[in-house]
Amino acid sequence: MTDRIRKLVELTKAGNMYNYPRDVEFDREDLFLLRQDRESKRLCEFILAQEPVITEYQTMTGFFNCSSVVVGDAFRRMGHEHFEKLLKDFYLKPIDNLSTFEWQHATADYDKVLRVGIKGIVAEIDAALDKFVDDEQIEFLKALKRVAETLIMWARKCSQRASEAASKTENPEYKRNLIELSESLKRVPENPPATFYEAVLTIYICFSADPDSVGMLDRYLSPFYFKDLSAGAITRENAIEYLQELFLMLQSCTDKNSKNFTRGGESHFCIRGYLPDGEDGFNDLSRLIVESLIELPTYIPQITVRWTSKTSRETFRFCMDCERKDTFGRIAFQNDEKRLKCFTGICGFPFEKAVGYTTVGCNEPAFVGAVTGSNSKINFLKSVETLFFKMSDEVISAGSFDEFYALFTNVMSADMDRACAYDDKFNIERSKDINYLSSLLFQGCVEKARSLTQGSADYVIASPMLLGITNVIDSLIVVKQFVYDEKSVPMRTLVSALQSDWQGYEDLRRTILRRGDFFGNDTDLSNSVAQRVYRSLYEYYKDKKNIFGYHFLVGDLLGYNEHHKWFGSKTKATPDGRAAGDIIKFGLGQSEGRDRHGLTAYLNSVAKVDPFAIACGSTVTNVSLDEKLITDDENFEKTVNIFETYFRLGGVHFQLTYVKKEDLIKARVTPEQYGNLRVRVSGFSDYFVNLPPDIQEDVIRRTEHVE
Amino acid sequence: MKALIFDIQRGSYVDGPGIRTTVFFKGCNLRCKWCHNPESRSTSAQILFYKDKCISCGKCAQVCPHGLKKCTLCGKCETFCPTSARKLCGVLYTPDEIVSEILKDKPYYGNSGGVTFSGGECMLNVGFLEECLRLCKSSGVNIAVDTAGNVKWASFERVLPLTDLFLYDVKCVSPDLHVLGTGADNRLILDNLAKLSRSGAKIIVRVPLIPGFNDDEREFVKIADLLSGLNIVKVEVLPYHSMGEHKWAAAGLSPTRYRVPSASEIEKFRGFFAK
Repeated sequence: MTDRIRKLVELTKAGNMYNYPRDVEFDREDLFLLRQDRESKRLCEFILAQEPVITEYQTMTGFFNCSSVVVGDAFRRMGHEHFEKLLKDFYLKPIDNLSTFEWQHATADYDKVLRVGIKGIVAEIDAALDKFVDDEQIEFLKALKRVAETLIMWARKCSQRASEAASKTENPEYKRNLIELSESLKRVPENPPATFYEAVLTIYICFSADPDSVGMLDRYLSPFYFKDLSAGAITRENAIEYLQELFLMLQSCTDKNSKNFTRGGESHFCIRGYLPDGEDGFNDLSRLIVESLIELPTYIPQITVRWTSKTSRETFRFCMDCERKDTFGRIAFQNDEKRLKCFTGICGFPFEKAVGYTTVGCNEPAFVGAVTGSNSKINFLKSVETLFFKMSDEVISAGSFDEFYALFTNVMSADMDRACAYDDKFNIERSKDINYLSSLLFQGCVEKARSLTQGSADYVIASPMLLGITNVIDSLIVVKQFVYDEKSVPMRTLVSALQSDWQGYEDLRRTILRRGDFFGNDTDLSNSVAQRVYRSLYEYYKDKKNIFGYHFLVGDLLGYNEHHKWFGSKTKATPDGRAAGDIIKFGLGQSEGRDRHGLTAYLNSVAKVDPFAIACGSTVTNVSLDEKLITDDENFEKTVNIFETYFRLGGVHFQLTYVKKEDLIKARVTPEQYGNLRVRVSGFSDYFVNLPPDIQEDVIRRTEHVE
Repeated sequence: MKALIFDIQRGSYVDGPGIRTTVFFKGCNLRCKWCHNPESRSTSAQILFYKDKCISCGKCAQVCPHGLKKCTLCGKCETFCPTSARKLCGVLYTPDEIVSEILKDKPYYGNSGGVTFSGGECMLNVGFLEECLRLCKSSGVNIAVDTAGNVKWASFERVLPLTDLFLYDVKCVSPDLHVLGTGADNRLILDNLAKLSRSGAKIIVRVPLIPGFNDDEREFVKIADLLSGLNIVKVEVLPYHSMGEHKWAAAGLSPTRYRVPSASEIEKFRGFFAK
């Protein structure tokens, strides 16, 4: 790491690089303007009233944060009135113990800005203005144009500030940097960048319009990188510095006082995977991106490496090697084969478009320049509860597992229908907000003269997250195993046991917990039931679309919040041995002590569960490994082999944690001694002691895989 | 045809090259005082009882059809013990059942991994073992046999054509010492090793390092001399650890305690086999 970057790291970690939004007084007569005119006018005034963060150590500047006095970016959604109302009434507040309103993610179309510049987008707006006749749409396009022009003026202001800073510094290298910065800001982001440096700078500034994910850095930066490298205009080391400066901005755009500062989620982006021509795209720049990031002692961003069946063992080993050395837990892996099967098969996207996906937030898949929406959390276990508490007569008279299963799918469909209906209602409310800043950089907004809150792009996915999916599978396994296969437990007894919350049925509960052939054990029974559940989900969702026409892909992750606790607290006893009020599980990939046959058995179960690829939404597989499996080189080689095989067998995702269970237990008692324990949970990583108690409990319950 | 198996461990990193499935046979004809798997000694199934986990709740006596006076290995006490203090050790498997477990992890074996038949002493039930090997061979699974070698040469002749790798234990060379540590003479063991080497079999020799038993440089010189005349792929020194100790009491046996060797000792004794 260079001294300059080291200085920036210090400033970033101290929280000094955070750009606090400046207050702005708006003209009260704005009130008399039409809505879109008023909102965009205020936004533009706000932007130009901001000041860039500038120190002598920087070669880039221009990121700003919005505040709630304006309708800001689509990620943080300040000033989005209807969204805020939804947030207040429905966020973290389940409806009917079935569904909760959730945030959504998006990635701006950096690829496009790098190709045409803001200037090119203005030209598109002008063309659209000639085409549309509807007043509202014309107002919207005019607002977009105003914002676009403001961004160009903002860059000019930043250029001026850089020039002032240059005149103040004594250090000749820093002076040169700042002068170059000032000059470049006169050209970008208005014009398409000419160099690698300007390309990174363009992303740096434009990130203000949607501070969520940088998408697919290696894909858009490769042409600039290789051109500059072969022309001798930059060295590999220069490129590392630029990338590191970008990554430090991604870290510092979160306030240090926020608990999200150390939480490396909400920041994922992808490297490589398939290119449109069907080749694996991992190249020297991809490598450089990983190396640049892990050299930094920061939490944000996080990288998801896209693996393809053409990824060489050497490349995969390199990425896993970086992963094992990275004490901040910033690298996750996912499988292009499975995801592309889903995008081309279920969503019907052409291959060359499908390869343009990335991950955002906690590993949610998303397309560059598009929103990934409808991430409502759903209590999937509720369907099982309904069966045993509201339909017990039908359940008792079901003569075979098939009959029982048919009852389950009926309830499931009804519950999913309701969850989808809620989701559509949420989306209708959201669509009443008009976003101007992010919309400028999202697909379809100009072409369709429509805000991204109203569903704009063509390649878009929705990913409802089904919590308790393993509880559902395990419950069905118990019914099949004990009631129908072994015939050792009459259904009537099971119903009574659940309705009395296992009181007086402790032996039955113990037998189930001890002998249940639960998911993760890679047995014929457990695999077949699990696959049947996924087939049902496939049947239900395959042709379904949300109100904006997005395809539904099943997810299972949790995010930052304890939805599984809230849902669990109101869900009665279930056949998997769970008592009333107990937490429900999240993430198919969280094996929690019920798998008894080791790592390969567990990974096999996960990899085989979904041959239909419907569960390629926001899904994570968190695996806890004994540190010995990666520290010793011979063992590490075996671990690389195991996870490569897991992908070949159809696994979608994995990320690793190496902390010992006993340390986690101790950390709960004396957190002050374990401030440094970093773990992966849901799709993000954080210090263990910072997690809410019930998420800590989940991490502890995971099976630890040893030699 | 059935055999008692006390564990099938999938995804093993330690029983040979690559990722392996290890099949543990019950029954052994040596009585090594440092044994890490004492529950493997007996040729019959048994209930292991982990006293330290027992909370004296009395559930086992309640569910046992014979009030714990007699054991028919029904496993009820295991099922109902709330703390897993009781465990049934030894389940009958057919060769087909074993092989179907092995094949589940075939994708992970790649070019280096496979199955390891271990124990106990898997070679004691050679007819059964041979059938398992045949089935694995026909499914293209790489086969390792982990043996202490204390069986008739004729048994080796039966498995030799089907085995890709032998993991062969050599505890010491001095016959008296061997009797002292394992209760058995080692002439047959060393003789079999020599024959195995001449047959061209691929062999990894594994030498336990047991302080107080063989942590003697002279003994290691003898082992190294012996092995230098043989065709051995690799020698692994396996240091004593005390992690198996609680299993002795669980199997109703009393353990001999040894000191755990230090890292520098391990390094030193590994040095005898450095190429």
